[in-house]
Amino acid sequence: MLRYITAKGLNFYFFLFIAVIYLPLILLVVFSFNDSILVGFPWRGFTLRWWEQFLQDPSALSVVKNSFIVASITAVVSTALGLLAAFVLVRRFFRGKNLITYSILLPWFLPAIVTGIGILIFLRSVLGIELSLFTIMIGHILFSLPACTLILMARLIGFDRSLEEAARDLGANEFTTFRRITIPLVMPGIFVALFIGFTISLEDVVIAHFLAGADVTIPIFVFGQLRRWSGLPMVMAISAFMIMIMGVILSISWILGKRT
Amino acid sequence: MSIFNRILKPIRKSEKLSIGIPLSPAMFWIMFFFLIPLGILVIYSFWDMVGTRLIPVWDFHNYVDVFTRAGGMYTGLLAKSLGMSALVTVGSIALAYPIAYFVSLRIEKYKYTWLILLMGPYFVSWVILVFGWRLVIGYSGLLNQVIMSLGLTSEPMSWMWNNWWTVVFLLIMGWAPWLVFPMFVSLEKIDKSLLEAAADLGANPIKRFLKITLPLSSPGLLVATFFVLIPVLGEFVTPVLAGGSQGVMYGNAIDASFTSMMAWPFGSALSIFLMIISLTVATMLIRMISLEKLMESL
Repeated sequence: MLRYITAKGLNFYFFLFIAVIYLPLILLVVFSFNDSILVGFPWRGFTLRWWEQFLQDPSALSVVKNSFIVASITAVVSTALGLLAAFVLVRRFFRGKNLITYSILLPWFLPAIVTGIGILIFLRSVLGIELSLFTIMIGHILFSLPACTLILMARLIGFDRSLEEAARDLGANEFTTFRRITIPLVMPGIFVALFIGFTISLEDVVIAHFLAGADVTIPIFVFGQLRRWSGLPMVMAISAFMIMIMGVILSISWILGKRT
Repeated sequence: MSIFNRILKPIRKSEKLSIGIPLSPAMFWIMFFFLIPLGILVIYSFWDMVGTRLIPVWDFHNYVDVFTRAGGMYTGLLAKSLGMSALVTVGSIALAYPIAYFVSLRIEKYKYTWLILLMGPYFVSWVILVFGWRLVIGYSGLLNQVIMSLGLTSEPMSWMWNNWWTVVFLLIMGWAPWLVFPMFVSLEKIDKSLLEAAADLGANPIKRFLKITLPLSSPGLLVATFFVLIPVLGEFVTPVLAGGSQGVMYGNAIDASFTSMMAWPFGSALSIFLMIISLTVATMLIRMISLEKLMESL
């Protein structure tokens, strides 16, 4: 009897949990089509007004563009740095290896606000650099580097090295071995690392809050509008757009992940 | 190819270079954009600021200020934030653990797909999620609409938004989907024959859970604690959007002293306290977890 109740209860809880965590996102998408200047209930009919406003607003579109530029560069740079480091950390043995691994993880030991402020005062008062998209990237790369490195290290640890040795025995030179054996086998890890770097950058509020200059990213734009209570219906359209983009990215990674 | 080889050969021959060169970009980044900035933060916490000019006075007055300024408001905020962070950690793990348990032990097919679906909301920016939650529990949100249409109240209830428990609730709901993953990983590794053996020896389901499943999944619980506790300690975004005057956290004080108050040295001293607390907690957790466990849960 107890067993039956816990099994049923767990089942119910599982589906309730999924429904509840998706509810805010679904409501946001639905209400971005609500014909009302007030955010929320009641429903006053369907409109494309807010989406049109968003898609015709050059400043809103440039914010979207900024976000994707920052996220793409963050993903590529942190994956590249992580890949180089992961190769050495997994395949070589040397003194101080643990120390180096932990120091790459260090950014995760502190709340992002402390790091964000540290970088801010360093760039502004010591180096005298103006804030821009570039400074946001600096912070984002720092925060996605631990994730990218760990993911690639995990992939390399599970890597069957005899495949590389076999290629060498069969006469392939080092470069060919790397290109034909190593890269294809590490590729799924690289995809995951790119994906994680991209999303860490795309969703970050804290780092970008401190390191953004006049050009901002989507979360910072949304944060600012929510704070000032201005233009909220259009912000809903932008948010709905971002939710859809994330849905597409997740579906793609789901399909890619299923194949491997 | 020959140029390629000519550059690579000396590097490959030297043990130090072949290890040092690939590591240097990542180490440079950590050094230059993490360790040095934190050093600057420590230095500024001993300085003073007049207008926009920083003056090296080298004393502890900022640290004293943290305790004394505004009648101990800042230490009060710190204590409150620690309490809220503890609530969020316990709450989000408590919500996520049964889900991880269900996916690992009850679902047989498409586990991977369910996991992606569960983590979905985590990949949406936090400000957007909070905005979405306003449509659920805000003044003109779904919950108020439902309660009013049932005739339970005639006016929307305003206590659900702009309060400290709103902040705690939102953070719990925001972190729970992500925490399913590390706990799932450690539940998956439990040898199911242990559970069968315990059942054969007459242990009831509750005993089996308490004696086998829970202890063996503790690494996942620790990783989850690490993932949620550290960021929440410095939280300032949620209080701004949903906390009102009651929901202010320590992070807001730090944010204000850098963005609106121009009190960098005081803000640095505030940050140093946060830094010491989170470094202590993180180091303790990592020592219990080990690097391998952290790696597996990604």
